Amino acid sequence: MTATTVNTVLGPVSGAELGIVAVRETLLSVLPGAQYGYDIDIDRARVFRAIAEKLNAFRAAGGGTVVDAGGMFAGRDVPLYEAVSRATGVHIVASSGQMEEGMLGGYFLTPQTNPPTPWPTAKFAALYAAEVTEGMVVPRVERRGAAGLISTATTPDGMTATDESQLRGCARAALDTGVALALRAGNDPMAELAVAVEEQLAADRVAVSNVGESAADIAAAGAFVVFTDVHAAVAFAYDGNATRTLLATGGAALTFGHEAAPASYAGLIEAVPAELRHQLLVANPAALLAAKEA
Amino acid sequence: MTAAHIDRVNTVLGPIAPEELGFVAIHEHIGYGMPGSELDTQWWKTPEQRYEETVPKLRTFHENTLPWGGATFVDATGICNGRDIDYYQSLSAKTGVHIVASTGFVGGDTALAFFERASVDYLYRQFVHEITVGIGRTGGKAGIIKVGVSRGFKMKELDLRIYRAAARAALETGVPIFTHLAVDAEPAVEIFAEEGLPLHRVLFGHADDGVSQGKVRDRWIAEQGGRIGFDTFGYDLELPDPPFWGRPRQERLEHFLGYLRDGLTDSVLASADANCSPLGWPGVKGHTINYLFDTLFPALRDNGVDDATINRIFVELPADFLTLQPQN
Repeated sequence: MTATTVNTVLGPVSGAELGIVAVRETLLSVLPGAQYGYDIDIDRARVFRAIAEKLNAFRAAGGGTVVDAGGMFAGRDVPLYEAVSRATGVHIVASSGQMEEGMLGGYFLTPQTNPPTPWPTAKFAALYAAEVTEGMVVPRVERRGAAGLISTATTPDGMTATDESQLRGCARAALDTGVALALRAGNDPMAELAVAVEEQLAADRVAVSNVGESAADIAAAGAFVVFTDVHAAVAFAYDGNATRTLLATGGAALTFGHEAAPASYAGLIEAVPAELRHQLLVANPAALLAAKEA
Repeated sequence: MTAAHIDRVNTVLGPIAPEELGFVAIHEHIGYGMPGSELDTQWWKTPEQRYEETVPKLRTFHENTLPWGGATFVDATGICNGRDIDYYQSLSAKTGVHIVASTGFVGGDTALAFFERASVDYLYRQFVHEITVGIGRTGGKAGIIKVGVSRGFKMKELDLRIYRAAARAALETGVPIFTHLAVDAEPAVEIFAEEGLPLHRVLFGHADDGVSQGKVRDRWIAEQGGRIGFDTFGYDLELPDPPFWGRPRQERLEHFLGYLRDGLTDSVLASADANCSPLGWPGVKGHTINYLFDTLFPALRDNGVDDATINRIFVELPADFLTLQPQN
């Protein structure tokens, strides 16, 4: 991977080839454990078709790349993403990392040690970096493709000690591999961004969503701000923050075990004023996603 | 007995008569791992390795059990812990060992977010479905419900929710309940009483492990009618690299013999809790299900325990316990 390439599920591509990017999306979103729910039927054919339809519409509207920022434990399906990318011609960037503490499995929280101490930063960092350097895991089967982003979140009520440990690990993995970090903030976006920056990750390698009232501060610190409200994004961009503004649907192509708004990637393109499209949907995502020399 | 009510035990290959079970290892694991461990390649094994580690142990178990007829392996691995029903079906079909699988959770701290958010009613429906319809798309039905105490020796709210759902599902379907750990049993006994589940349908597991000693009121549980699991036989501190729940071999044996001497044989069940091929942890080298035959039985005989008693604990009591006994 060179300084200007982006890892897609079908291999590295030049940042210039991404085109219009839906930058912080979730394609298949499965609440951890829902795959075992007795009344939940994850029909892969239906999943494929639902995602393909959205990607085809996105491509028809001029779209080029969708970034799945759901991390490695919330439905990510690498072989399916590969097939749907081939079938639609839309690049898919998949992510490593996991979401906030409540989304983690017991392996990370109450390991079989005495006492059951939650995972330290270094172990999270190694787990996620390997998904970039060695390939993403298909659990207990194989590694395939390289992650193009590390994605994490902090607990909405406030960052827990485990959230912080994981966030630091994600920042280190991003720093060590050159891919960017996506952070869905909890209740203190600036403090949470500061945790990543303390790990020596440059703020411009971080895209922060769920920023609330902190958008201007996050942008001033050098990070990208991810909006899910188009009007807010446009206003923020026109307010001198165009190079720091990213836009996402805030939804998912398909969910199991929880509710999320249905995502329309094509709708993103139509919603952004023509004069801002290149900056918000092409230039900014490419700048974020293009791997930096580790 | 009507046609609709034939005594049966759910195995992964379908229901069988209790008389077919033969020798029962009541609490074992084909492979156990904490949820999320599947993401960490350090523990991965190829399918070739997994079969290679597992099949010979099951074959030896089958040979060891020939004097009793059948061989039955109860897999106490809960949902989210690497439970793998079609793999168990293949193992059972190829080795001739009956395998009984679990629904439920080893503890609240092994239930992933989807189940952590679930109501008692949803959990109850999950368990009933897995016992009466099947697990996932495998068609294999669960024969027991696993519940347990989260790390810290104290029941947490989610643990209690799972216990209550399990009690309701056990009453309706007739499968027994296995607990992971017998500590903090008072809230469990209270829930089972509130739900009307007789305590002889509950095996309070790991009453014999090293870390529970001083915290477990096993004689009190037995007095209430609960069954006591001496089901970590072989996790001996004498092993080269014992786990933190290990215990001196002789101390565990004495604990067990105390029940037999006091006429409480019918209160106990016993097993080795070994992993054939662990998932997500190194496992304990040198410990297998076959410890029961290689080490435990000679020790029991040395202490004057007769074959009838061994037969009682490993054949008759488990057959009664595993037989579906719907209360409604």
